[in-house]
Amino acid sequence: MAAGNPILQIDNITLVFGGVTALNGISFDVAEGEICAVIGPNGAGKSSMLNVINGVYVPQEGRVVFKGQDCTRMRPRQIAQLGMARTFQNIGLFQGMTVLENILTGRCMKIRSTWLEQGLNIGRARREEVENRRAVEEVIEFLHLQGIRKTPVGKLPYGLQKRVELARALVAEPTMLLQDEPMTGMNLEEKKDMSCFALEINREYGTTIVLIEHDMSVVMDISDHVVVLDYGAKIGDGTPDEVKNNQDVIDAYLGVTH
Amino acid sequence: MIYRETGTFITSYLEDRKLFPIPFDKWAMAVFMLFMIFVVPFIASDYWLAAHLIPILAYGTAALGLNLLTGMTGQLSLGTAGFMCFGAFFTFNIMLRSPEWMNLPLAMVLAGSVTGVIGIIFGLPSIRIKGFYLLVSTLAAQYFALWFFRSYPYFLNYATATVTLPDHHFDLFGIGETFDVDMASFEAKYLMSLGIVTALALFAKNLMRSATGRNFMAVRDMDIAASVIGIPVIRTKMLAFFVSCFYCGVGGALFCYAYLQVLGIRTFEMNRSFEILFMAIIGGLGSIAGSFYGTVLVYEFPILFSWAGDYLFKGAFDTAVVDNVAKITYGILIIALLIREPGGLAALWATAKQKLRTWPFPH
Repeated sequence: MAAGNPILQIDNITLVFGGVTALNGISFDVAEGEICAVIGPNGAGKSSMLNVINGVYVPQEGRVVFKGQDCTRMRPRQIAQLGMARTFQNIGLFQGMTVLENILTGRCMKIRSTWLEQGLNIGRARREEVENRRAVEEVIEFLHLQGIRKTPVGKLPYGLQKRVELARALVAEPTMLLQDEPMTGMNLEEKKDMSCFALEINREYGTTIVLIEHDMSVVMDISDHVVVLDYGAKIGDGTPDEVKNNQDVIDAYLGVTH
Repeated sequence: MIYRETGTFITSYLEDRKLFPIPFDKWAMAVFMLFMIFVVPFIASDYWLAAHLIPILAYGTAALGLNLLTGMTGQLSLGTAGFMCFGAFFTFNIMLRSPEWMNLPLAMVLAGSVTGVIGIIFGLPSIRIKGFYLLVSTLAAQYFALWFFRSYPYFLNYATATVTLPDHHFDLFGIGETFDVDMASFEAKYLMSLGIVTALALFAKNLMRSATGRNFMAVRDMDIAASVIGIPVIRTKMLAFFVSCFYCGVGGALFCYAYLQVLGIRTFEMNRSFEILFMAIIGGLGSIAGSFYGTVLVYEFPILFSWAGDYLFKGAFDTAVVDNVAKITYGILIIALLIREPGGLAALWATAKQKLRTWPFPH
């Protein structure tokens, strides 16, 4: 998908935990409709970056601007309401619930009925349940989860859990999707599936995707834009080809002789 | 086979969300309820109503309330008896100080709502603290309730220790006077309790299978993920405290009005909170029906055991010894149950069903 105007601007973000500087003056833009990969060696600050973007961490310095609004100090919920969804590195599913219930929670921002209406199961509450179910079923079909609707997520294999988590994020109809290592621990086929889903989401719904991934072949194949972090600093930013030939990036990944 | 799970074909999302997707379940439940309403009051003796059925309904309401908070939302609470205390005292005071038209169910709803608000206040620390530390805060509710009603005898209408609840409080819309029915009889009390408990259980069930219930469970399972997908975590926790304490309040009111028929502070001591916590845990945290299974087990088993002990060893041993051995056996059974099935009776039931489903070829 062709890249448009910047939808997300990261401006000089610094995040410090005690004495550790996790992110050090990072700035980059994500254009509307692109797939942006954030890569870097372990401990480079990739997940911290994602946590800053969707409000789980508040940075000491810098600004995050999403859709023209400064959301540096917003809570995760407010940012979700602006249209940002995300998946977690260690699977953030609700283990005590079924696949269907988990995905339905992704529709929580569309609920207008009050708890009293829901408890009495009248009018609006009933209608909303059916409407949300319909939206959920679309995503279930899109991600091929039909067979496991009523299975408790705890009983599913890892790869499927990741997919359910993606479904939960997607069902909120986000304009931007953050994925934290969506393909880690997957076999080749599952990786292929996940890559295809990412591309399809991007093309079908025009969703901007920011993803963290370690598998370079996947990153180079599907992303329009790659940001490289190392020890909390940005060392590369550009198209996959530019990044591939960047000497700093090569040094960080392959090591350098001193 | 009479009972079949197959053969029911779901053709709409509304149908898939039914309370009883299997027709047999629906009819069984209907027959059970009709039996409880139309047959039980006529065949059960006053002893069975007053000493078994009514207390189970009252305890069950409180256990359900606790289960909504601890089982569904994952917020531990040891203040159950305290919240029951608030509910019972407020119901009494509303009945005592309101004009003629006030009736008991409405008073319970009002008292329950006030208790819910008090629950929110004691639930505020849950915004920042989790797990066992929250127990301390809810423990404060327990002690606060007892201290409050001890310090302000106004709420007990200046009685010394207990108040006998007057019979005319039970009259609904003048039915008793007009038709010359004894509305304070055990049958009437049982039916009133059954009606209230059924309505509350149905409300809880509906709540749990809708967005609010999913929010509760999401907060329980992983609150960070819940906030990231847009669930208002704090509001959800506060709502859980409100609803839970509403149920506990109504449970407390039923406990005094329908079961004990006297109101006193000592009814709601700490051990009552533990008793209800056991009911919720043994029945199955996170299960609405489980709250009632647990209540029946915890309430009836000691009675059953001491009766069996009495029957088997009468005269051979001292009664006190038999009684204590019965208690020990009961305790061991509970421990065995929880080791075998930490999900409680509700999970045990689900497992049994699953086993029967595949029987006799489990593989």
